Amino acid sequence: MSAAPALRELQRGFADAVLSRGGDAVHWVAGAGLSPSARLQVYANAIAGTQIDTLRGTYPAVRALVGEDFFEAAAARYRLQHPSTRGNLQAFGGAFADFLATMPEAAALAYLPDVARLEWLRQEAALAAAATALDPATLAAALDDASPLRLVLHPSLRLLASAHPLLTIWRYAIAPGDGRLQLDGRGERVALWRDGGAVAMAALDAASHACIAALAVGCDLDAAHAEGLAADAHFDLAACLRSLLDQSLIVAFTHTGERPA
Amino acid sequence: MHDASPLATRPIPAAAGIGLRAPHMPRVLAERPRVPWFEMHSENFFGAGGAIHDALERVRADYPLSLHGVGLSLGSADALDGEHLTTLRALVRRYQPGLVSDHICWGAIGGTHLNDLLPLPFTAEALDLMVTRVQQVQDALGREFLVENVSSYLTFRHAEMTEWEFVAELVRRAGCGLLLDVNNVYVNSVNHGFDAHAYLRAMPRAAVREIHLAGFTRKNDLAVPLLIDSHSRPVDAEVWALYAEALDRFGPVPTLIEWDQDLPELEVLLAEAGRAEALLDVRRTRAA
Repeated sequence: MSAAPALRELQRGFADAVLSRGGDAVHWVAGAGLSPSARLQVYANAIAGTQIDTLRGTYPAVRALVGEDFFEAAAARYRLQHPSTRGNLQAFGGAFADFLATMPEAAALAYLPDVARLEWLRQEAALAAAATALDPATLAAALDDASPLRLVLHPSLRLLASAHPLLTIWRYAIAPGDGRLQLDGRGERVALWRDGGAVAMAALDAASHACIAALAVGCDLDAAHAEGLAADAHFDLAACLRSLLDQSLIVAFTHTGERPA
Repeated sequence: MHDASPLATRPIPAAAGIGLRAPHMPRVLAERPRVPWFEMHSENFFGAGGAIHDALERVRADYPLSLHGVGLSLGSADALDGEHLTTLRALVRRYQPGLVSDHICWGAIGGTHLNDLLPLPFTAEALDLMVTRVQQVQDALGREFLVENVSSYLTFRHAEMTEWEFVAELVRRAGCGLLLDVNNVYVNSVNHGFDAHAYLRAMPRAAVREIHLAGFTRKNDLAVPLLIDSHSRPVDAEVWALYAEALDRFGPVPTLIEWDQDLPELEVLLAEAGRAEALLDVRRTRAA
């Protein structure tokens, strides 16, 4: 019979029991008409249910693509291999894409990890900080200045380049409509951001993606322009900036060398 | 955009509020139902921004608000999660809720979170830890914190005191408020075979700041029936009776109807709150 455990030992044993790792917890639980393992199982089921439901909510397109049974089995395996590390469930599930990429049963769906990546970014965009868009006239005046600008983009903006037609697949998964999914094999580059209360997504051409990605990591406008031109000699920087302004995605600027206000 | 000027705290009235869940938010914002106060889960607002904050701004402008946490894991042998506490503090500063609470439980060990309200052993060691943690939270928030008794489906052989002794002693020593979940008292009295009335009698009268009511389900596929705190049903008749007894003992206390699983139409929650309100009303008249 195990001696009375210290609190840390008890909690480690309890966690082992409910995460199917065995352990001593059954010896510490009073049965009172029910087996200690049956009592621990009530908790094991509740914990699994909560965590799997969280993944269901975060990954609706993955779920639609693989079906409920497959999803539940994948989620059940994921939560044991990548245990939750925060008390806030919004933080749970960030490694699901990488996990799916290593799952042999999912290998036939090569695009699945990117769909999961997109859904995680959708959640990040939904929860990101708020920011007020820059007035286009203010930016226009700053552009007349000779020194190169560095733009601050909206905190909710995320980019994802995929070798698969990712946005097409995601939209099909969420709302299949009548048609079958036609994949032409071309990859898509997706921009996503929060627009009002919802997450908006758009496919980007290679040059716009290269330019916005450069801006997002803090390159100045000249360097970002060069990235766009490297991807496509006909890249139109003004059009790219106009669409960012139209979507309220530029929130501040600095002249090179200054820190953002 | 939210107003940068600090909000004044609106105290939670001694009336029956409801736990506001996301599916009811659009109707609440559009129709502004007559509800004396709302409670929401703190962790839902741990993101920096987004639609949910915009909604909370609007709820907060028109109703007293209580923030109720489920993820602080106060009773864990791990250190308190500093980032969690910092985020909670920022949230409390931003929204100035009338009440702030979490549970008498643990949820994480060795950095692994189980995201559930797990039972503590009722030992001196666990009590000392909980007292320290609650004081730490009250110091960090600069205000009174409420702790809630949880439902449980097991007890530990090496318990050194009863649950009600543990709860009463925690509240007394930590100098915090008590969020008394009357449904959880009833559920545990059935699951562990104790006297729910004795539990209520042991609670420190002056510390009861809020009462929770919810529905349980009965798990019948086990050797003994177990009540599960599912928040999926109307409040049980036995729990209403215990609630009336609690009000007789503690006076009219802010009361919350909680419903999380199988969420019904808002009207069902309003009707449950109406029932609690009728019981509160009798005591208010008596108190006046």
